[in-house]
Amino acid sequence: MILRAAILLAGAALVAEPLVTGFERFHAATPTAEGGRLLYNELGCVNCHGGVTGLPAPRGPALATVTQRVRSEWLRRFVADPAAVHPGAVMPQVLARSDARTLDAVEHYLASLGPKAEPKGPAKIMHVNGGRGGELFNTMGCVACHAPGQDFVPPEGAPKAAEFTHRSVGLGDLKAKHSLDSLGAFILDPLKVRTDGRMPKVAMERQDAIDIAGYLLAFRGSDGRLDEPVVPVVADKTLALAGRQAVLAARCAACHDLPEDVAAKPVALGRIDGGCLDADHVRGPRYALAEPQRAALKLFLARKGEAAAPKLAAELTLHALNCVACHERDGQGGPDAARKPYFQGDHNLGDTGRYPPPLTGVGGKLRPEWLAKVMAGGNRVRPYLKTRMPQYGASTAELAKLLGVADARAVLKFAGGDDTAGRKLLGTQGGAGCITCHRWGDRPSLGIQGPDISNIASRLQEGWLKEYLINPAGYRPGTLMPSFWPGGKSFNPSILGGDTDKQIAAIYKFAESANGEPEGFPRNRHGEFEIVPKDRPVVQRAFLDGVGVRAILVGFPTGVHLAYDGDQGGPGLAWKGRFFDAYLTWFSRFPTFEKPLGERVVAWPKPVGRFLGYRLDADGNPTFLNEQGGVKVEETFEGVAGGLRRIVTWTPVPGFTPAIHHPPELAPTEGPAAAGRRVFTYLWK
Amino acid sequence: MKAVAATFLSAAALAGAPSYEIVDILTASTVADTRAKDWKPGDGLALEVSGMDWTADGKLALSIRKGEVWLLDGVLAPKPDRVTYQLFASGLHEPLGLLRDGKDLLVTQRTETTRLRDTNGDGVADEYLTAGAGWNVSGSYHGYAYGPKRDGLGQLWVTLNVDMGDHSDNRAPWRGWGGVLGEGGRFIPMVAGLRSPCGLGANLAGDMFCVDQQGTWIPTTPIYHLRAGAFFLNPEGIASEKLPASPVRLSAKLPEKRPYPEALKALPEMRAPAVWMPYNKMGRSGTDLAVCAAGGRFGPFDGQMFVAEFTDAKVSRVFLEKVEGEYQGACFPFVGGFAAGIVRLSFAPDGSLMVGMTSRGWSSLGTKAYGLQRLRYTGVVPFAIKEMKARPDGFELTFTKPVDKVRAADVASYRMTSHTYLYSGAYGSEEIQVAPNAIVSAQVAADGLGVRLKVDGLREHHVHELHADGLRSAGGEALDHADAYYTLNRLPKN
Repeated sequence: MILRAAILLAGAALVAEPLVTGFERFHAATPTAEGGRLLYNELGCVNCHGGVTGLPAPRGPALATVTQRVRSEWLRRFVADPAAVHPGAVMPQVLARSDARTLDAVEHYLASLGPKAEPKGPAKIMHVNGGRGGELFNTMGCVACHAPGQDFVPPEGAPKAAEFTHRSVGLGDLKAKHSLDSLGAFILDPLKVRTDGRMPKVAMERQDAIDIAGYLLAFRGSDGRLDEPVVPVVADKTLALAGRQAVLAARCAACHDLPEDVAAKPVALGRIDGGCLDADHVRGPRYALAEPQRAALKLFLARKGEAAAPKLAAELTLHALNCVACHERDGQGGPDAARKPYFQGDHNLGDTGRYPPPLTGVGGKLRPEWLAKVMAGGNRVRPYLKTRMPQYGASTAELAKLLGVADARAVLKFAGGDDTAGRKLLGTQGGAGCITCHRWGDRPSLGIQGPDISNIASRLQEGWLKEYLINPAGYRPGTLMPSFWPGGKSFNPSILGGDTDKQIAAIYKFAESANGEPEGFPRNRHGEFEIVPKDRPVVQRAFLDGVGVRAILVGFPTGVHLAYDGDQGGPGLAWKGRFFDAYLTWFSRFPTFEKPLGERVVAWPKPVGRFLGYRLDADGNPTFLNEQGGVKVEETFEGVAGGLRRIVTWTPVPGFTPAIHHPPELAPTEGPAAAGRRVFTYLWK
Repeated sequence: MKAVAATFLSAAALAGAPSYEIVDILTASTVADTRAKDWKPGDGLALEVSGMDWTADGKLALSIRKGEVWLLDGVLAPKPDRVTYQLFASGLHEPLGLLRDGKDLLVTQRTETTRLRDTNGDGVADEYLTAGAGWNVSGSYHGYAYGPKRDGLGQLWVTLNVDMGDHSDNRAPWRGWGGVLGEGGRFIPMVAGLRSPCGLGANLAGDMFCVDQQGTWIPTTPIYHLRAGAFFLNPEGIASEKLPASPVRLSAKLPEKRPYPEALKALPEMRAPAVWMPYNKMGRSGTDLAVCAAGGRFGPFDGQMFVAEFTDAKVSRVFLEKVEGEYQGACFPFVGGFAAGIVRLSFAPDGSLMVGMTSRGWSSLGTKAYGLQRLRYTGVVPFAIKEMKARPDGFELTFTKPVDKVRAADVASYRMTSHTYLYSGAYGSEEIQVAPNAIVSAQVAADGLGVRLKVDGLREHHVHELHADGLRSAGGEALDHADAYYTLNRLPKN
């Protein structure tokens, strides 16, 4: 509880009723049999009472290792009263709340199932960085289901409590439950423990998992060896035997994978009222159901025999696995207003650069093999999304097929396709210029880095591609993608006679043939635009680290160069050696903050005046014109062997001395001063 | 109107000959290295045109995105094969506008407007003086600055993009605003609500206009009449309204996801664009405008506005009128087929239109990377809808040539629909509330140069889209472009 108060924001599950997010978001307002089907599956009713829900089977966590990865005290409290210890837990209460002997016995029985626990020293976690873990937790997608951390403020500001439209999946008292090591191992691969994928596996490094664990446990310091490990229970044979009886009686094996000798027989369902649905139910599992949940279950039970059509089964599977936490489908789902700020990515791609794609019609969009691979953890095409698409283990085994049936569209097969024309159409030399915004394999695009399109033939169904290219916004409103075949009419009548079908087929064919790349990729010019001052100084403005957006760079043939601050008027940086590579400044759509090419960079303190401009003398040396306290101050820079000469002049005014600073690490020598004139020489020895 | 490349000009004298021809000055397919050892003026110059004006001695002064200003002589020759190129200034930071001011040139770079002076008369600028500043530059790639352009009062206008991408800071001063340069070059904000106001220009009355681009909050390319206190469409930079110098204070909550006419009612400071240019039908990204004062040397369109478009590499035509004191009007397709994405237009002293292009960074149907072309009137009068004016009960069309009166009087020669847009933060908007407008009657003027259409169901703040496919000239020609799009902000009372 202390932990939650410290790091978790509004929206955490604090209500006792079991939380099935998909139900709460999409089915709770008006109870329906469909919502009841989802609950019947997700609350594990199906595990005792049987029937075919059409949804992936829900399974409880693996118990053979539980006493080695969860603290004993927590385990007993949880088993005794799951909803009290972990609000929103779907595990029902199955044992008496206060029978300490039974709890003890059950724990020993569970301990007896696992491989013999090795006496473990402290986990060898040398380093943990909870700050980094927090960054990951709050941006990689965890907060699509869980509540965001209060200490993490997304760039657009923290959401208001009222913006959370549904409860978050609570984490319970993690410190009481886990050690750094055990929580890290769980986060790294939850499917090992929770095979049903309701907590999916996000691809990450072990260090990522440890850092996230460190964040969630509010671990102090960075030396993981100081953590208090989980002490495994060593099974006592007599107690374990008693525990076995309790487990058998409580029918734990209905939901958890346990040995044959404790298998739970199905429980026939005679009526659709009473029993587990009753609040004061005593025999068997006790669920703290809320009224809409109860109502929905009753509606479903009345029609329990009916199979779910593929469309419904697909829909409910997406709700069960909470795919709709991140993805919209048919205008439903996607992150709510509170969670949207935590979805980060590439601003340049607009909303499509930060939110995962809609799943509307996805079974008719992606080729089935491709979609299956996406669910198996492969085929990631949007590297710019900070959220990571997780894996759900066996629970998505049928989903690609199901979506394929649910979203089936009339099959379109492109006949032939002129791949030479396709190459032209994709390129910038008279084509649609697709590569201006889209990557092509490992070739970055020429502008914003939209999704790779070299894979379209293996990724997309032809019918979808055609429909999409004719009207991209029809699929994803707000997309930056324009249509080059608006209303089905081609933008370019000169390629393949302007025939839209032929042109789109040609693009597809070219991608399929993998025969080269579209026209228009430039040679990599980086480095070819190094400015080398030869005969006279060269001036170039740029965005420069350490000076800012108004940097005026001056390269001198004598080999020491200057970046002047064109805002407040004063020298900013100077360096020796190579001057500047202007490629990004001259020829990129995305000029960025550059760095000097040379070495031994020195920096002046920030100037205090106002910049008015500069003039160039006959030799190209710049004189910068500034104003300080109402007095015009000019300074000329000239290259000298191994350094720079700075001549500061002003009209002498009584009581006025211009502020003249020098880099702390480079003391100049001063030449003879005169009224309104000082000369400094800076040398790079 | 059909345009034709210069080589086919010999056909111009024939009937049906093109009215306009595109003359290549310099176009190229790749960005070349102007510092290569073997570089020669004109042959490897990356002429990514970003600003144009004319010097007192008739040279074309032209800025390029790389940060240079060039003086071109000889571009108006019938065959421009002896154009000379002289480097006037360099080292600028992506200048996107150029204006002559006496002997000096003013260019607007990303961070400031700069006065370029050649004090010793050697043809090369030796003074680069800050002539306008005061807006924030964050370093985001999208933080472009445009202008200056002079209005009828002599004020110099500058417009500023909103930031996008890395380093963006639209809360900092004046992103997405337009203003004038005051004393000492201080930026004085005048209008808010811009997104990517890439091109500015004054009409013959001296009023300043600017073209913005479809994108977030902007349903399709709009043309705004700029004047103090106006808020247009894009609220991403509205935070600056809190600054003391701001002439704009929004008095109501932003009306998001509302049809545009409702949004306008809900937000008193919002000013409607004088013209919407419907997406795809009139191109996609408007970039510049130039008002014709060629005295007939550019065809029968004096006083009209020509609008550059990037994606489709074409130029459109706009007719404006004042109704109830506010500008509104119609846009018409004009000439397409330019070499690359058009970014700048400038009428030459001889009345032809210089077209400056660069496709770098975006997608254009133009097949070249950049270049400079010239659009010249051949003297063959096109058959076109010259003007489209609103009337209380319909529209009045005028033509460049007398029409076939029988066809023009037949209501079946016309078709009209109207639509508006959804005002929202999404990228562009579909046309919404699309409805047909019945043409009730068509009354032809005695001289055959006009027709008065009575139309049912006119709606304010809707674009009225006319297709006059049935019209013919008295000589039997079809219209070069039979479609026109009138933005009916206000229905005239009489």
